[in-house]
Amino acid sequence: MGAIDFCNPKYYTNRELSWILFDRRVLGEARDKNIPLFERLKFLSITASNLDEFFMVRVASLKDMVNAGYDKKDIAGMTPAEQLAAIDTAIHELVDMQYSTWNRSLTPQLAKNGLLVIGGHEALTEEEGVFVDRYFEENVYPVLTPMAVDSSRPFPLIRNKSLNIAALVRKKDGKGELEFAMVQVPSVLSRIIQLPTDGKARRVILLEEIIERNMNKLFLNYDIVCAHPFRIMRNADLTIEEDEAEDLLKEIEKQLKKRQWGEAIRLEVEEGMDKKLLKILRTELHMEEQNIYEINGPLDLTVLMKLYGLEGYEHLKTPKYISQPVPELPQGCDIFERIREGDILLHHPYQTFEPVVDFIRQAARDKEVLAIKQTLYRVSGNSPIIAALAQAAENGKQVTVLVELKARFDEENNIVWARMLEKAGCHVIYGLVGLKTHSKITLVVRREEDGIRRYVHLGTGNYNDATAKLYTDVGLMTCSEDIGEDATAVFNMLSGYSEPLVWNRLSVAPLWLKDKFLYLIDREKKNAQEGREAHIIAKMNSLCDRNVIAALYEASAAGVRIELIVRGICCLKTGIKGVSENITVRSIVDNFLEHSRIFYFENGGNYEIYCGSADWMPRNLERRVEILFPVNSPGLKEELLHILECQLKDNVKASELKPDGTYVKPDKRGRSLFQSQEFFCQEAIRKAKAASDEIAAVSRTFIPAQHAEE
Amino acid sequence: MSVKTFAAIAVGSYELSMKIFEFSGKNRMHQIDMLGRRIDLGSDTYAYGKISAEKVDELCRTLKEFTEIMKAYKVDEYKAYGTSAIRETENAAIVLDQIAQRTGIRIESLSNSEQHFLDYKSVASKGEDYRKIIEDKTAILEIGGGSIQISLFDNDTLVSTQNLLLGVLRIQEYLNRFRVKRSNRENFITEMAMAQLDNYKKLYLKDREIRNLIVIDDYFSPWVIKKAGGEQNRVVVAREIFYKALEQLRGENPARLSVALDIPEEKVPLMFVSGVLIGLLAELMDVKQIWMPGVTLCDGIAYEYAEKQKLLRGEHDFERDIVACAMNMNKRYMGSRKRAEALENISVTIFNSLKKIHGLGSRELLYLRLASILQECGKFISMMNIGESSYQIVMATEMIGLSHQEREIVANVVRFNHSKFIYYSGRNDVCGLDREAYLTVAKLTAILRLANGLDRSHKQKLKGLKASLKESQLILSADTTEDITLEKGFFEERSEFFQEVFSIEPVLKQKKEI
Repeated sequence: MGAIDFCNPKYYTNRELSWILFDRRVLGEARDKNIPLFERLKFLSITASNLDEFFMVRVASLKDMVNAGYDKKDIAGMTPAEQLAAIDTAIHELVDMQYSTWNRSLTPQLAKNGLLVIGGHEALTEEEGVFVDRYFEENVYPVLTPMAVDSSRPFPLIRNKSLNIAALVRKKDGKGELEFAMVQVPSVLSRIIQLPTDGKARRVILLEEIIERNMNKLFLNYDIVCAHPFRIMRNADLTIEEDEAEDLLKEIEKQLKKRQWGEAIRLEVEEGMDKKLLKILRTELHMEEQNIYEINGPLDLTVLMKLYGLEGYEHLKTPKYISQPVPELPQGCDIFERIREGDILLHHPYQTFEPVVDFIRQAARDKEVLAIKQTLYRVSGNSPIIAALAQAAENGKQVTVLVELKARFDEENNIVWARMLEKAGCHVIYGLVGLKTHSKITLVVRREEDGIRRYVHLGTGNYNDATAKLYTDVGLMTCSEDIGEDATAVFNMLSGYSEPLVWNRLSVAPLWLKDKFLYLIDREKKNAQEGREAHIIAKMNSLCDRNVIAALYEASAAGVRIELIVRGICCLKTGIKGVSENITVRSIVDNFLEHSRIFYFENGGNYEIYCGSADWMPRNLERRVEILFPVNSPGLKEELLHILECQLKDNVKASELKPDGTYVKPDKRGRSLFQSQEFFCQEAIRKAKAASDEIAAVSRTFIPAQHAEE
Repeated sequence: MSVKTFAAIAVGSYELSMKIFEFSGKNRMHQIDMLGRRIDLGSDTYAYGKISAEKVDELCRTLKEFTEIMKAYKVDEYKAYGTSAIRETENAAIVLDQIAQRTGIRIESLSNSEQHFLDYKSVASKGEDYRKIIEDKTAILEIGGGSIQISLFDNDTLVSTQNLLLGVLRIQEYLNRFRVKRSNRENFITEMAMAQLDNYKKLYLKDREIRNLIVIDDYFSPWVIKKAGGEQNRVVVAREIFYKALEQLRGENPARLSVALDIPEEKVPLMFVSGVLIGLLAELMDVKQIWMPGVTLCDGIAYEYAEKQKLLRGEHDFERDIVACAMNMNKRYMGSRKRAEALENISVTIFNSLKKIHGLGSRELLYLRLASILQECGKFISMMNIGESSYQIVMATEMIGLSHQEREIVANVVRFNHSKFIYYSGRNDVCGLDREAYLTVAKLTAILRLANGLDRSHKQKLKGLKASLKESQLILSADTTEDITLEKGFFEERSEFFQEVFSIEPVLKQKKEI
């Protein structure tokens, strides 16, 4: 047999196209009639916000490459220009599908359930018209800034992602040419306005329609010839010149302001916009034909999240799940004592994130705690963790916090927290030059009777109590000396000290995490070649690292059974003869965002399980600080394996990647339905109940006095 | 149980490092944190003789961070030592004071031999591993920037130690100066090193059989330890395996290595020089295995502190090494072992009987023993001018474990044993000794002179000498039947200085056998 070149581009899928497939899977949820109606709204809204981010980052950077004349081929052998062309077609299809979902299935369904979304102001009744006009005068008019363009006033700067109304106007005297005028739809006001109801169906209209109806009040000396909403997206890929940046913090603040005025890369307009008006926009924004999206429906579907939030309609939503207590960590327990009893695994959001917050809260108060160190990537507003860290610093503990300012789109938020922590006396590190710190690790150093003991929390998700209710993640709490030493070394490195000679247990990217993965995959390959059982199960968000995929192909060719659970991008292809016949890929899209990364290696019958913050992406393995940690306790290993097995069993929310590159839901005929996320919810409830019953049983047992026998 | 926390800080030529240790009884020394930051002080010192203000700022910044970390760990005590970059700075005193003012950390400058001594202690801090290895015939090779130090151990005792000017930075400097081609580098290093190593072999190694080589270096061993992964502290490799590792280094390109090892590219050639040197010595000594404990100066600092604080029972007797080293010197300069031992005996007897009077401790007793052993080595050079020659020899010979000042004390005691005592006069002092050290020299000289008088014939007549203090008299009773007229005569002459120093009159009594 001739040697197969596992790096051959024909064995790989372009990552952008694979991403679009992911967004289509989310859209699939919005189209699924088995899902409660309002949940479907939510999914549709998610596809829209996903797409916005995709444009601002991925499409933008491809455009940059094309502009710079850079034509290096990607993993699948496509040049940036070829990729852009392919993406444009795919996105137009996706957008068409979004709006057909909205218009054909969701709007009628909403109407049927007594919620009427009025498409245009023209459809308002007379009384409603009076109501919205008054609403306009009282609430909207004061915050509007109408802008006209003529020879003395240049074309206005239009803010990224803002919704605007453009109009063609003509002087009242009837003479003169058509002029361009526009107004931004204010983001401070709710975009959904409820109309007065007679107690029957609820009717709502979007803010831009009300403004459009009242355009003439903004340009009093003009006649409004036509008015249409539009929205633009600008290049927002943040590349910071770190070598030149004296102060990273200042640089990012500067970049944030600049971001709004990057090159326009997408223009969305209402379908049927006046041709002349469109032409003005096109020319002024330097848009190309393929980047203009004529939309049949409301622009910016992220508004549907607001619609989801409307009071009532609870029967059209999935009941809210309440994260369950962790049996090992009942409320009010001494967390340090519990960790000393043994390693503890946390499975969010099925189990509550509260113990992680408590861990830091207790450490902040504990007299014996000397130091707390933590990496913060994306923090929720009003984060209790930040409050606890500040408290700890005020209590005289050494608190070191690495705040990653480069967290995409969250910089503004992070800068505020960082400043606050500094004020409280924490030592704040603003990320590393050239690397994004993505690892999630907390270290608590405590002085105990027999010396220093270190408590470590390692996780796959951010220290964000809000997203911990929505993202599936796992976390480990341990006071293992080996991991404690490594954790100390991690923070020393983050503070600018040299790497230790030897790591005990943790693997740290970008140092040699990739090598570690390649080694583990290769070991399975060797085992397979020597006729031993060889099996890999890996769960992650994205898979697009060429070396890792090539290693997986090699392993598959050697006979290793490889089961991948990849939520988003997957550049690997399945079912290629001699290359990937032994590889299956499935993607789970359900209510919670799949986020945990768990890696299983058979290792000749003595299986190993790792968790971490890294996907198998070049950016994770090379340009970020990531940590991979092994889970060693046999009980916890079983739990993790159980999680993987349940996800492999899922036949409701999983889609399988077929050799033709499409994702298909598995055949359910003759099989009982199994939905992993639902199962985990129920399981967490059962476990919590068993634990509380046990406590109840203990506290309610009476001890009857026994007759003393001789 | 109380736990002591200690911070050891080493200001090296190109790295500033701190290790935090915990001592929790049970003879346990446990490292809990380790911090290192690259600060190149060496280039400044070696090129201009002074450390630039920018480097001092950088140093202070990091030291300030260290103090914060020390505070966080509630460290009980710390010790900070500077090595050659600090030692060789012209304005060391000023720089060190500045650092102390700005950071609160007092850095002490280490002499070469003190530094090597701490290096040994760092190896010894590896406890059981160290003992096992050193029981066999072993050499310790320390590779530094300017020089290398080779020490031979036999049966747990240091036999000899030599400093050769073959440091990696020095060799690298030659390689650059002579523009040696990459392909020819190994040959060049070999030729340069063997010129000195051949002499070393003839003079010191002879056909001594060495089985183990312990390597302490900052260049090659980190790499080997890293390659070995998890097996920390225990990188013992057979010689063949070492050669394989060296082979790999030969083939690698510096840029790739620097990425793989996360070290700056300019350090890669140094690693290579170090590796070649280790290879040469391994071959020269025909060792079976090489141990790279990967210890640093910080380990030695902590071990020394723990020994002093009695937190650790030292397993290795370093004083014995120093005495053995002196014995070896005595032998090299054709001194008589018997005489040295006899003199040592008499001196120790007198010293011990005078404890209440002289108020000196065990360390001073060690100086006296060394001086007794070495007091005549100068006669190898000149029979007339024994005092001066002996002084020069002692000062020129490194004794691992003695600080520069301590060596100065021993050398002066040896000198004044033979030549006229020079009195201390504040300004015009004796070889830079301070008042305290000067007094020690005087007291020890007095004892040694007396002891010397008691063995004037060099025939060790006064074997069972006993000493006891009776009011203002020191009664020395000798149990011998031999004629001791000579001893008696010199005894009186020699006792003059003794009386001056201690205000005690020594009296020699002969107790003849019945």
